[in-house]
Order: sequence, then C-alpha cells, then structure tokens
Amino acid sequence: MPNRRDDLQTIDRRSFVKASLMSAALPVAAALTNSKAQAAQTEASGPDIIDCNVHLFDWPFRKLKYARTAALIMKLRKHRITKAWAGNFEAVLNKQLDACNRRLAEECQAHGDGMLVPIGSVNPAAPDWEEDLRRCHAQYLMLGVRLYPTYHGYALDHAELPRLLGEAAKRGMLVQIALRLEDERVHHPALAAPAVDVSPLPEVLKKVPQAKVQLINSAGPLLAGNVGVLVKETNVTFDIAATEGNGGVGRLIEGTNPSYKGAIPASRLVFGSHAPFFPCESALLKLFESPLSLDQMEKLMHANARRLIA
Amino acid sequence: MNPAEARKFALNPAHYGLPTRDDLVRLRIWDIHYHGFFNAGIRSHEENLFYVERMGIERMLSLDIAGSPTDPLGTMVSDEKKREMREYLEQHADRVSGLIPIDPSQPVESCRKMEDWIANGPCIGIKYYGGNPGGVVCSHPDNDAIIRLAAELKAVIYIHTWLKIGGQPRRPGGDNERGESTPQDVAILAARFPDVPLICGHSGGDWELGVRAVRRHENVHIEFSGSDPHSGQVDFTVRELGAGRLVWGGHGPSRSYSTELSKVLDADLTQEQRLQIFGGNLRRIAAPIFRQKGYKL
Repeated sequence: MPNRRDDLQTIDRRSFVKASLMSAALPVAAALTNSKAQAAQTEASGPDIIDCNVHLFDWPFRKLKYARTAALIMKLRKHRITKAWAGNFEAVLNKQLDACNRRLAEECQAHGDGMLVPIGSVNPAAPDWEEDLRRCHAQYLMLGVRLYPTYHGYALDHAELPRLLGEAAKRGMLVQIALRLEDERVHHPALAAPAVDVSPLPEVLKKVPQAKVQLINSAGPLLAGNVGVLVKETNVTFDIAATEGNGGVGRLIEGTNPSYKGAIPASRLVFGSHAPFFPCESALLKLFESPLSLDQMEKLMHANARRLIA
Repeated sequence: MNPAEARKFALNPAHYGLPTRDDLVRLRIWDIHYHGFFNAGIRSHEENLFYVERMGIERMLSLDIAGSPTDPLGTMVSDEKKREMREYLEQHADRVSGLIPIDPSQPVESCRKMEDWIANGPCIGIKYYGGNPGGVVCSHPDNDAIIRLAAELKAVIYIHTWLKIGGQPRRPGGDNERGESTPQDVAILAARFPDVPLICGHSGGDWELGVRAVRRHENVHIEFSGSDPHSGQVDFTVRELGAGRLVWGGHGPSRSYSTELSKVLDADLTQEQRLQIFGGNLRRIAAPIFRQKGYKL
C-alpha cells in the first residue's frame, strides 16, 4: 500500500530547515558580536558539550523528573550541553514506531530550542521497517536512528540488521544501538528484556563497513570480550553513560578499567548522559573524575560527535 | 599518590554546573561503602587514593576488613594479613575506618570476631554481605545475639540488601542469593530492635520498593550506592523518609564516584540536606563509637 501522506501530520521541510538554520545561525551571529575578551573567556571556560544519549518523555515504568522537554532543556543548558541527540522513550514499548518518530520530530521542532536533534527508532524485525527508516530520513530529517534490540525482541545476528545498517549508511545516517536502558535486576516483573549480546556485531559490521554505529550505555560487562575486536576491526563509537569504576573513563582509555576487557581510545568515545533516566551530572562528573587532558576532554565533549555527523 | 597531581583539572567543573573539588571538600563526604580493601588489598586501596583525593572524599569506611563474601569471618585470612590490616587502620584512623563482615549463619563466631576487632580492635562496625554460606538472612532470630552485641559496642550496622527480580513467577527478590537480605528483612529486624540504628544498604537495589519497605521504621537509614544512578531517586527517598535518614556510599573502586555523587547532586535539596546526606547523618550514627575510640568526627 502506498504511503498515505494525507493522514500523516508531516513536518513541513522548509519550516523545519528554516528553524534549524536559524538556531544554527544564532550562535554565529552572537559570535560575531562578541569581543575578543569574551571569546578568550569562552575558550578558557572550555567547550560546550554534545550529548549523544538523551531521551524525551517518560520512561514507560516510572515518571521522570525531567520528562517535560522544557525542564530537560533547562537542565541540560545549566551544564553547557548545547546539543542533545534525543530519542523517544515511547518507542521502547511501542509497535507504531512511525507515530513515535513523528511526535519526537514535532517535539524537537516545537520545543527543542534549537538544541535537540531528533533520533528516530526503527525495528529491523518489524514489517516495513524500510519505510520507517525512509520517513526518519526524508520526512523527519533525522540524522540517525536508535535501535532497542532487547525491547524489540531481536538479537544482533538478526538477518535484517545488516540491511538496515546498509540502508542507513546509504542515507548517511548514524545508527545507535542501546545495549541496555535499565539494570535487568530491577526490571518490572512483567518485563523480560536481557542486556544485548554484542558478540555478533563485529561480523555484521564486516558486511557493511561503511555503517556508522554507536553503542550507547555500553557498559564494560555488556561489551564483554568484544572490546578489542570492536576497536580494531570496526569504526564503532561508544558513549560513557554507563562507564563505571573510580576514574573509569581515564582507565578505559588507558586499558586499565577492570570492567572492560581492553582499551577504548579517546577518539572512539563520546559524551552520553542517558538523561533524563540518569542524572546528567553522572556522565559530566566522569569527565572530571579521571585526570583527562584538555585534548581528551574536547574529543569526548564534542569533537568526536561532530565528526560522526559531519 | 601525589595529592597535588590529584587536584589538577584541565577544565573547571564549575563552568559545567558541577561542584569543584573545594565544594566537595566543604560537603565533608563520608563514604560508608568503600571497597578499596577488597580481599585485604592495602596496595589497591593506596592506588585508589588518587581518586579519593581528587573527588574530595573526607573519610572512607571500608566494609571488607578481615573477610570476604565467600569467607565473611576471614578464617582463610592469614594472621600476618590481619595484623597488617589492624596496624593500617590504627595508623590511618584519621581517614579510614573499618567495618568487619559477619556471618549470621555463625552467630557465636561472628560475636567472637566483633569482640576481637571492635571491642578490642580498631574497627567501628559490622557488615552483612549479600549472602552467606549458611543462607541466613538478617531477619532470622539467630541475628539477635549479633545485633545485641553490636548495640552494646555502639557499632555501626550495615546490611547489604537487594531485590533482584527473578524466580517463577517473577518477583522482586526472587533472584537473590542465599542469605541475601531484602529491605523487608531489615524492617523485620528493625521492629525487634527499635532503638538500634540500622543502615539498609543499596536501598534494596530497587529503591522504589526498598524505601517503602523500611519507611515506618525510624531507626532504619537508607544507603543507596551500588546501583545505576536514577534521576529522582534521592528526591523520592527524602520525600518518604526525610533527609535525616539517608547515608551516602561511594562503592568504589568498582563504581564511579561520579555515579554515586550524581544521585545527590540531581536532587532538589538545600545545602543543609546535602551536608546531612553526604556525611552528617553517618557522623551522627557513628559518633558514640568514634568518641569511645577517640577518633576524629
């Protein structure tokens, strides 16, 4: 059945692009009017942050403190997070992902204050996922999509996954894979959603080397023995939201974090907070708990993320 | 460990809406859940001091003195190791305090260990691990002798609790280890000893249930380390129990200080409440035994 555009509350591409460009232009205009002293002060205070791991709305199992978009934006801004790649928690347990994606895009456009970058959701195990992906890209102008394998009921060796990664790559889209959203030990009794097994991923990515994949909430125990092969044989990036241990991020870079079987270089790590489920202070403090160099901090805070969506 | 190196930051945390190290020091943070000495590792503790110093932690209360989860009473720990640990605690009493693991399935031997390490040694409290070889939870009557002696010694009592989902049908606590207590077990114990302060560790893991399980028992404090940081967790706990019943734990080195600090920083609290949670409440609980031993409060 052809796509019924008339029953979709589509976002007008022109107005979306205009809004996006305006928000992008504002800092440029501000920069032009800044004095040299102000610029130097900004430089001394460090770069702004891109948060690759944010969701909008309520977690299906609990009301969240920052579920309201306006409140979340205020909170992120307080911590100098000026761009946030936002998924939609409604997509976690919803079969109509297109409706979730549409609502997400509308919310980011209407209330995102120029800082929310919508990241849609696609389920490669569901029928007609190709159309969901197409709409994310062409209709909602999304830079990427987020996968929730364990909540959507498939493993990373699913036959459709390489095709999805290939299609996303053709569109230049990033694919984020959520390895875990909530500790399995405290799940709702009605839910059986184990953490994602990443071991098939290196082989999958060999088939689609052009894919841009990021693992979010990529805790060491979930990556298990796959750290080395993922770092050496793929271009996968990892966020730090679930990186644990005293000095966990620095030790991960050095290869001495006992939770990880291997090192992940700073060039492959991105800032992700998992807000508003986690306090965004958690990931922020991790940047300071480890004695990172300015160069390493800049990579994590924004440079690696910028490179990914360049 | 070079303290000056530990205090160097490439960027100022205050520019990112975070407390600086000086701010953290002013909060007088006492960490009731320190695993730096796990398996009697003085060396690993000393390596970890870099992060303790960097994050402005004032005092660590180690829970692994002369014992481990598989051998809570430390029967396999050599006398030499025990002597070494005793001396270390005595020499560093201004910064580190020790709690000894006990085994509720062996109450007589547990009491003997308490006499040895608390009454006649440097330690200030006891810890219930997440399970024990005999499979006895803290609500079992065999615990009464242990709690009575702890009260007599004015010892701090820390009880690991979790509510791991599992079993058939699935239920919170259905996947707990043998002898791993739940907050409900702590509530039963608290009712038998209403005048003895108890610390319910980890908030039961599933804090939404754990906090409610102990709410009615004013002598139970909630410690909330060792689980993922959930936004709103501390707001909820303070609403239900009041800020006077929360105790902070860092759970390092296995957990990040950032994880545990963020739970409190996320909450809408007054500075006074933060001071209570980060150390004030624990100092109040520990004051009698600290004064008795002449330790700095």
